[in-house]
Amino acid sequence: MASISQPTQSAPRSRLRRLLTELPLSIGISALLAGFISLVTGRFLENLVVSVLIGIVAFAIVFGGRQLLPERAGWRLREWAALGALAVLAAPIAHFTGLHTAGLILGIRTPTLAEYPSVDRISMIVFTFLGTTLMVVLIMNRERVRRAQEEQAASQLRAEVIERQALQAQLRLLQAQIEPHMLFNTLANLQGLIALDPARASDMLDQLIQYLRATLSVSRSESTTLEQEFAAMQAYLGLMGVRMGERLRYQLDLPPALRKARLPTMLLQPLVENAIVHGVEPKVDGGDITISAALDGETLAIEVRDTGLGLDQVRAPVGGGGGGGVGVTTTRERLDALYGERAALALNAAHPHGTLARLTLPLEFEQ
Amino acid sequence: MTRALIAEDEPILAATLARTLQGLWPDLDIVATAPNGLAAVEQTLLLRPDVLFLDIRMPGQTGLEAAEELAERWEGPAPFPHIVFVTAFDDYAVQAFEHAAFDYVLKPVSSARLGKTVERLRGVFEARAVSAPNALAPDALARLLGQLQALAPAVEPVERLTTIRAAVGNAVRMIPVADVVFFQAIDKYVNVVTADAEALIRVPLKELLPQIDGTLFRQVSRSTVVNMACVTSAGRDDLGKVMLTLRGRPEKPRVSPVYAHLFRQM
Repeated sequence: MASISQPTQSAPRSRLRRLLTELPLSIGISALLAGFISLVTGRFLENLVVSVLIGIVAFAIVFGGRQLLPERAGWRLREWAALGALAVLAAPIAHFTGLHTAGLILGIRTPTLAEYPSVDRISMIVFTFLGTTLMVVLIMNRERVRRAQEEQAASQLRAEVIERQALQAQLRLLQAQIEPHMLFNTLANLQGLIALDPARASDMLDQLIQYLRATLSVSRSESTTLEQEFAAMQAYLGLMGVRMGERLRYQLDLPPALRKARLPTMLLQPLVENAIVHGVEPKVDGGDITISAALDGETLAIEVRDTGLGLDQVRAPVGGGGGGGVGVTTTRERLDALYGERAALALNAAHPHGTLARLTLPLEFEQ
Repeated sequence: MTRALIAEDEPILAATLARTLQGLWPDLDIVATAPNGLAAVEQTLLLRPDVLFLDIRMPGQTGLEAAEELAERWEGPAPFPHIVFVTAFDDYAVQAFEHAAFDYVLKPVSSARLGKTVERLRGVFEARAVSAPNALAPDALARLLGQLQALAPAVEPVERLTTIRAAVGNAVRMIPVADVVFFQAIDKYVNVVTADAEALIRVPLKELLPQIDGTLFRQVSRSTVVNMACVTSAGRDDLGKVMLTLRGRPEKPRVSPVYAHLFRQM
């Protein structure tokens, strides 16, 4: 499956972008506060310069400190506490540094450190603290909005990828099912049977019709019942049984309670075909194929078991005609597109020999 | 009477081919029907038919592999059977057969197409009956084998091995390929033989072959590949079969008739 990655930018660049959007925001907050203070004290210009300088220093501390905290969506109490502490710490430092810088620029008298423990000064620091808190809240809010947008873009991308994969899987499925080799060999057998045993030829033709009908109804949006799917596989195995004679033995086991369970059309076909083409057909003595369905809690478990060559001995059939990997990949992609994590396909060696394909998917019934 | 053998794993197709052939060529004696590629070889070697109808996709080994094995194992005096490949739509690039020394028919087999093949075969065998064919033409067999191998799916270019890694007890022995005197296939394993040691590796000879230098190492029979630099002489045993003498090893590997031309005087 193609990896679905978040749209990532290089870290320094996204940091710069954030700096450029958030710095004007905090300067704006400072200017706003200066306006409030001026309502009480007058001297707007002086207040503006002082306030903006304090704002810049506070912003530098908060912004710089936040770079040390982890970059992720859900912050826990620990991270929030750290940011709060930073805001508290930033207030007096920013106030002192900002005020003294403004003093140097404007040539006004600034209080010395010794004058700080006064009601006036402390109330100004508290005011600064409110400013930095406002800054932090606004910045974090913007952050959350940005993250939500990113997540939405990522999930949209993911949906598109899945859509495309489903389409590809569907195409491959169609190509694989009406495999020319299978069709021509079946027709050759049919042609032979017409002369040798017309009654059996007629039965075989019935099975071919049933199989082709099921095959051609494949669509990713369509679903079928287990009963119908098992009937399609019965027809397929019936065709292969006529062709392979005694070398193929098969059994289908569907509990009555699961007959109406729903699943995507022709989901089993690639697995049964693999069991034939890579398992039983290339084996000199042939083998058995068992298809069974069972309930595993809330999950539907379908198994295709063969006593053929086994995974380690599989080799590509002459001429290529639909390799085993394609069938398994196609099935996995279909499952992923339709069910995500809730469905799976596992291929394992069966004992004493052969292959066991186990398909699990959510149990759903006809509405 | 011309004798034929059919190798086909699907019983109805085998019966149908036999029946159609019988209708087109009443004199033809179908001596056996082999259900897989391994039985096809054994029964052909045993029954020595004149014509061999070989299905390509069969269990055990493919029709092409069966034909290769037959070419390597065939010994006179009977002439090598005429091969007709029977192939479904997409088994092989059919064009590959056009210029080869054997015939082919497509499945489902049409009576008209098979009729043409039968006509041609009858012509071949009538001419043969007049001129009394000599036992075995090794050059013709070698040519046939070459054509068969050209039909096999192209092997993807692989990296050339310089060292063979063979497990010996708990250690892995590193054997420079140039030190190998010969490779001997034993079932799915290959015995790697140097002047002073032997080691088994779990790689089939067919997979190993494309990875070693083909100018230095030559296949001399189905199971043996020798380092030509280690061959000191080629002689014939009491039965007239070619045997090799190797530098540093007491074994005397036999050479299949199809590869005997490698050891003829210049």
